Amino acid sequence: MSSPQSPVSRRSFWSNVAAVAYKEASVIRHDKALLATVFAQPVMMLLLFGMALSNKPANVKWLVLDRSHSAISRRFVQDVQMTGYFKPPQPVWSYDDGRRQLQDANALAFLVIPKNFRRDIERGRPRVQLLVDGSDPLSAARVAAYIGQVAAEFATTPLTLAARATSGAESSPMPVDLRQRFWFNPTLLDRNFFLAALAGMLLTNLCLSATSLGLVAERESGTYEQMLALPTTPLEIVLGKLVPFVGLSYGVFAFATLAAGLFFGAWPQGSWLALVLVTLPFVLASLGIGVFVSTLAHTSAQAVFITVFFIMPSFVLSGSMFPYQLMPHGVREVGALFPLRWYQIALRRIVERGAGLTEVLGPVLALVILFGVILAGIRWRMKPRLG
Amino acid sequence: MNWRRLRTLMRREVLATFRDPFTVTILVTVPLVALLLFGYVLSTEVKGLSLGVLDSNRTSASRRLVAELSAKGTFDARFYTTNGELERGLVSGAISAAIVIPPDFDRDLRAAASGRELPEIQVIYDGGEAVLAGNAEGFLRGLINAAVASMLAEEAPQVAGARPAAVLPAAAAPRASGVEVVTRSVFNPKLDGTPFMVSGTFGFVLSFLTVLITAVSIVNEKLTGTFEQLQVTPATSVEILLGKIVPLGAVFAFDVVLMVLIAGLLLHVWPVGSAIFFVLVSSFYVLISLALGLIISATSATAAEAVQKSVLFSIPLVQLSGFAFPIRSMPLVVQWFTELFPATHYIRISRAIYMRGAGPLALLPEMALLALFGVLLMTYALRSIEARR
Repeated sequence: MSSPQSPVSRRSFWSNVAAVAYKEASVIRHDKALLATVFAQPVMMLLLFGMALSNKPANVKWLVLDRSHSAISRRFVQDVQMTGYFKPPQPVWSYDDGRRQLQDANALAFLVIPKNFRRDIERGRPRVQLLVDGSDPLSAARVAAYIGQVAAEFATTPLTLAARATSGAESSPMPVDLRQRFWFNPTLLDRNFFLAALAGMLLTNLCLSATSLGLVAERESGTYEQMLALPTTPLEIVLGKLVPFVGLSYGVFAFATLAAGLFFGAWPQGSWLALVLVTLPFVLASLGIGVFVSTLAHTSAQAVFITVFFIMPSFVLSGSMFPYQLMPHGVREVGALFPLRWYQIALRRIVERGAGLTEVLGPVLALVILFGVILAGIRWRMKPRLG
Repeated sequence: MNWRRLRTLMRREVLATFRDPFTVTILVTVPLVALLLFGYVLSTEVKGLSLGVLDSNRTSASRRLVAELSAKGTFDARFYTTNGELERGLVSGAISAAIVIPPDFDRDLRAAASGRELPEIQVIYDGGEAVLAGNAEGFLRGLINAAVASMLAEEAPQVAGARPAAVLPAAAAPRASGVEVVTRSVFNPKLDGTPFMVSGTFGFVLSFLTVLITAVSIVNEKLTGTFEQLQVTPATSVEILLGKIVPLGAVFAFDVVLMVLIAGLLLHVWPVGSAIFFVLVSSFYVLISLALGLIISATSATAAEAVQKSVLFSIPLVQLSGFAFPIRSMPLVVQWFTELFPATHYIRISRAIYMRGAGPLALLPEMALLALFGVLLMTYALRSIEARR
């Protein structure tokens, strides 16, 4: 065992680390499957999150049963249509027909305008019924909110129409003049939400899948025993194995950040220095988890399973894809055990809200603590042993 | 095809699967953990969201407004005294939304009650959390409107008695009224996210776990050399295929039942439609998915490759199958692409049975598509086994 107290052993410590790093780098260079992941995955995820995925309802199919057949009911339907979230409405001729189509998932919402709609308006208490398909709750809730918004602002008298034309806020039927603004993301694009955390998801995938197989593969091919016979300590082996991956991780990180900016205009609003700095403890913690997994697993198959079933919950619970603030207590706290939770918090602060180094000290501290715990776990599992 | 040989192969497979304690653990824990995790992540309900309050008015009127906003537990008010502090709160993510009450709010409110200008309130959302902001928007707007309306009603007692949500200042009443929407959600009255995610989790677990388990079992066989041994036995390719898929299919059918029970007992989500029909369709889907796993592992040279392929395959599975993100919001070309995943169709079926109580007749087109996928994948799996002999 070399103790890093004397200068000689410190030199040998670093040269051992460098030697293991060199060996690991040449292994990576020849691992075609890993390289394919490293290159293909970022492009795929960038396209998915940049172009394909959104929680915002769009192209919503809806049904209208207009029993009123009046100009004002048609104007109401038109106003809903104008929000831009909907496809052209499909007219239905009976309530049962509409219900059946909801049942068959042919539409998400079903608007019923009563026969007396025009008379109700004249009397001042107009009412419409909206049925939504609750089997898609998130979209249903939002669609109901959009239609409710249109309805609340619907100008029901000619007077209001005129008022709306002349002055803006005056005509609002709401009791209060609400000025809404979405900071940091004025049009509320889901894309910006996903892209901000893209680097975190890519690095989680890379760091875990790359390292978790490492030690197991060495054990399976017998090179682990050879390394134990060398005058290197477990810590040197681990650090040496991590060094090339840290380099690779920064490459992927640079790709994710630059591509999101170049192709989708989602440039980081805050400090680049903070961005680069906060990435290090996250990468180290993720790599550490990979190494820890490979000390737990007996076969490469097991290592893969443990890794995959660590990656999935960390995506889901971290808040990278779904807002963690809405998760129930308990689930929310479990998510805090994953490094990705803290990294995505930091990423959102820097990339979306323009924060600097001081605002992300909390997440950095959390990441450092997680890394420390993982390192202790690895040391405990890596006591030199054979067989 | 020789039945005795097939039976031997199947017995062998069952023994091999259950001999490995790790595989058995995976088969039980993964569905359990997946259901518990996914069941809770998607929520339409906004609860305990921290709301920054910058009250420049500081009167009983403004305090009453804030109290009403935090009364139902939807929002958790945090007070700020300057614009700068509020901004820092938003940047650091300490608050997800903020309301700014202007200095003359109470005067405006009294003026509005007698028919003049409406009181003005500024609301700021943290667009960085786009999903959260989108969900919270409707809630907060509704709450503020209701609160102000009821305060106006008290200021102007002459209009008291009207519906509280739409109470308007007397002079403003003829100005506009708006339309009341009575919304009812069919199939899921409280718009609860749990059944939606649970029915999707079946699709995720069954697709992903089957592919991984097949990949791993073949990889293990290749490592120990039994796969080569199998190929030189007189067993035909069809027998090898069935000998792998049928026993694993039976194991997963058991997993489906287990998941239905877990979802029902722990998350209180039972299928609205027929549970037996659901288990049957799911077992059929498992066979398709196992064939896919077989193809992936048969076309891979090494264990690592098979595994990488399965993991790469799992990404579009979560994101494009409609499991978590609505397909209708995707660009049209991507929408066509999603139809190529068997998982998309299975998840559609699963949701229809679990949430809308659909029967076999309504699901015939989707099931026919699944069957088509099954035939194609089985044929291809057979050919990839044959190619290796």
